[in-house]
Amino acid sequence: MNDDYAIRVRNLYKTFDEVQAVRDVSLDVRPGEIFSLLGPNGAGKSTTISMLACLLEPTAGDAYVMGHSILHEQMAVKSSIGVVPQEIALYEDLSARENLSFWGKMYGLRGERLRQRIDEVLEIIGLAQRQKGPVANFSGGMKRRLNIGVALLHRPDVLILDEPTVGIDPQSRRNILDSVQEFNRQGMTVLYTTHYMEEAQEISDHIAIMDQGEIIAYGTHDELVQIVGELDRIDLTLSTPPGQEEIRAALIQTWRQLDRVHQVSTAGHETITTEAGSPAEQSPDFEAAVDHSGLTLLVGDSNLVLPDLFETAVAVGARITSVDIQEPNLEAVFLHLTGRALRD
Amino acid sequence: MKALDIAMRDLLHTLRTPFTLIMMFGAPLLIAGLLFFAFGSMTGGGEDLDLQTIQVTVANLDRAEVQGGGFAAGELLIEFLRSDDLSDLLAVEIVDDEATARANVAGQRAHVAVIIPGGLSAVATTPGQEATVVLYPDPTLTIAPGIVQDLVSQFIDGFAGAKITAEITGQQFEARGVPAGPALLQGAATQYAGWLETTGHHQEGADPLVDLRPPATEGEPAEQDAGIIAGIMGGMIVFFTFFVGAMGAESIVREEEEGTLPRLFTTPTPRTSILAGKFTAILLALVVQIAVLLVASSLIFGITWGRRPTVLLVSVALTVAAAGFGIFVMSFVQSTRQTGPVLGSVLTLTGMLGGLFTQGIPNIPELFNVVNLVVPQGWAMRAWDLSLAGAGPAGVLLPVAALLGMGLLFFAVGALLFRRRFA
Ligand SMILES: Nc1ncnc2c1ncn2[C@@H]1O[C@H](COP(=O)(O)OP(=O)(O)OP(=O)(O)O)[C@@H](O)[C@H]1O
Ligand SMILES: [Mg+2]
Repeated sequence: MNDDYAIRVRNLYKTFDEVQAVRDVSLDVRPGEIFSLLGPNGAGKSTTISMLACLLEPTAGDAYVMGHSILHEQMAVKSSIGVVPQEIALYEDLSARENLSFWGKMYGLRGERLRQRIDEVLEIIGLAQRQKGPVANFSGGMKRRLNIGVALLHRPDVLILDEPTVGIDPQSRRNILDSVQEFNRQGMTVLYTTHYMEEAQEISDHIAIMDQGEIIAYGTHDELVQIVGELDRIDLTLSTPPGQEEIRAALIQTWRQLDRVHQVSTAGHETITTEAGSPAEQSPDFEAAVDHSGLTLLVGDSNLVLPDLFETAVAVGARITSVDIQEPNLEAVFLHLTGRALRD
Repeated sequence: MKALDIAMRDLLHTLRTPFTLIMMFGAPLLIAGLLFFAFGSMTGGGEDLDLQTIQVTVANLDRAEVQGGGFAAGELLIEFLRSDDLSDLLAVEIVDDEATARANVAGQRAHVAVIIPGGLSAVATTPGQEATVVLYPDPTLTIAPGIVQDLVSQFIDGFAGAKITAEITGQQFEARGVPAGPALLQGAATQYAGWLETTGHHQEGADPLVDLRPPATEGEPAEQDAGIIAGIMGGMIVFFTFFVGAMGAESIVREEEEGTLPRLFTTPTPRTSILAGKFTAILLALVVQIAVLLVASSLIFGITWGRRPTVLLVSVALTVAAAGFGIFVMSFVQSTRQTGPVLGSVLTLTGMLGGLFTQGIPNIPELFNVVNLVVPQGWAMRAWDLSLAGAGPAGVLLPVAALLGMGLLFFAVGALLFRRRFA
């Protein structure tokens, strides 16, 4: 039996036509914990969740939710989970209360018990004062909260949230993160997907990092950061004459060959061209306009590497105009493992 | 239970969407009305809008009262209709009895029959007496009978004044201890009528003494020629029920896009219940639509759809066929953006094949009436035609069975395709 785990995923695969969206994913979620699935766009997070919610049939593999197989005991699985979909899925012409009432019935609640749960949930998601008007008039944050509320009605053992904080204001995001931790304290097991490493870091007991359909790392936050060990992360800005891509490319090439440099990445940064404003910026080496591009490096010891970086930059006619040394974090782990940044 | 919850939610959505409401009720009535007027003049059986002379055939059963220069309401009415002022508008022919008058209308020799009841004069002079002038219009016309009805009402309204005058006179005499004999009252009424004729004055708001009767209210079986409007309206009902059936099925595609359908699939609700709920919602919407259209069209256009059990049977079959066909068509639609074009073309094409838009056009080749039956719309139209012609339930069994069979078949295929899509 698999009753020791709230969720147990075994060698799950999902293939759409040509795309292998999920490849050999296995993971265990302990009862009562918050488990985050962290990964960039297209990593396969939603696809994994859809299979756990019995929305998609796996191409291969199986998974168990509260001991029930997603292949063979779908009704039992569905009864024990509350799913908060990535996109808001509500009836816009209905009010908050009417939505909760309809979805509560779909979870098998009726009568007095239903009414009581609706009142409780409205209180939890802070919409008790706004239960009457049509949802169409709600703000994005309010819709997100109601979207979550629907999944709480039947007090599920496992709450699955798919990127619940995408595209909302900081205050609503704070509110949602706090609520998730509160549900967890009340005993709910939480499976949380996100591409914000800060969120995963803040709320999770365990984190699985997912990329291109695969779990590439798993552990607690501290365990994961250990993967990059003593490495430092340096964010810097490089200024080059405009249109001279080859200078930058050559420099990155040179840096990658340096002993203490482990990774150089341009992902997550964009190149900005500025007119050089003050005369001070107009040295003979530079034209009037300048390309600024950001880079992220993983290095052994920043104090030893930085002089080399400056030296080699000047040698090819580029300049480092800002440097930021960071503690290693999940972002660095992802960079280390994939050579790419989490956020694109 | 959950299926019913889903059905009620869908039905609520349907009844809250203005576009759907227009397609359910407004459009069919409006288009039928417009087509009726357009075809009415085209097919010759109808009327010209530039008011040709209206043929009125009058049976005056009130003649019995003409004696001794007394008050003769029937004669007065005829005089009024024949007056010089109206000679451009009306051609009045007097016949002996009601049957002849109505035969004239049925045989298209007159546009309206006016039946003056036996006791009309007595109404004016005898308190409490009642009698009603009855009009039988050609059911394919609306304007001409309307004009005649207006004129007769004008006369009768004034006439009601005469009645009141007589009654008041009688009361006053009685109050003074003088018994008011019929001769005295007739005198008063005649004086009043004379005054009325010279002043052209008439009163508003008197009791309705004129009644415009659609041909079938006499309890006879629906007349064979229920008129062009009934056929046109039947075509519109069929077209727009199929339209609403497909629009209802669109909710499956729409909810898939909006994410509420996938979300429903994450709840412990069997897929069969979800589909059953959707289908029930469509059926309910169609029931409402057909009921409203039948009642409204019989009120507005005076259509008699046929015998109750027949109408009920045809309505049920139409509901099943339109809902099944809607599920079938929408199962091929991938997104709501395709809905408009697909529905437009498929429903217009099948509607044309079914002969929905050629109602009221004479001399359709016989072959076309056979081709109609390839699509459910053709069977639906045939069912209505039979019902309009007064067929009993047994008489419509074939088209009803065809509609039910096609509807269930379409539903089965559509449901299968949807199930496969969401597997
Ligand atoms: N129904 C589908 N048909 C075809 N390909 C799909 C389908 N659903 C997902 N994919 C593909 O599978 C891959 C994983 O997608 P998925 O939505 O699971 O990623 P995700 O991690 O949730 O990303 P995001 O952060 O953008 O939501 C992507 O390449 C996506 O294009
Ligand atoms: Mg996703």
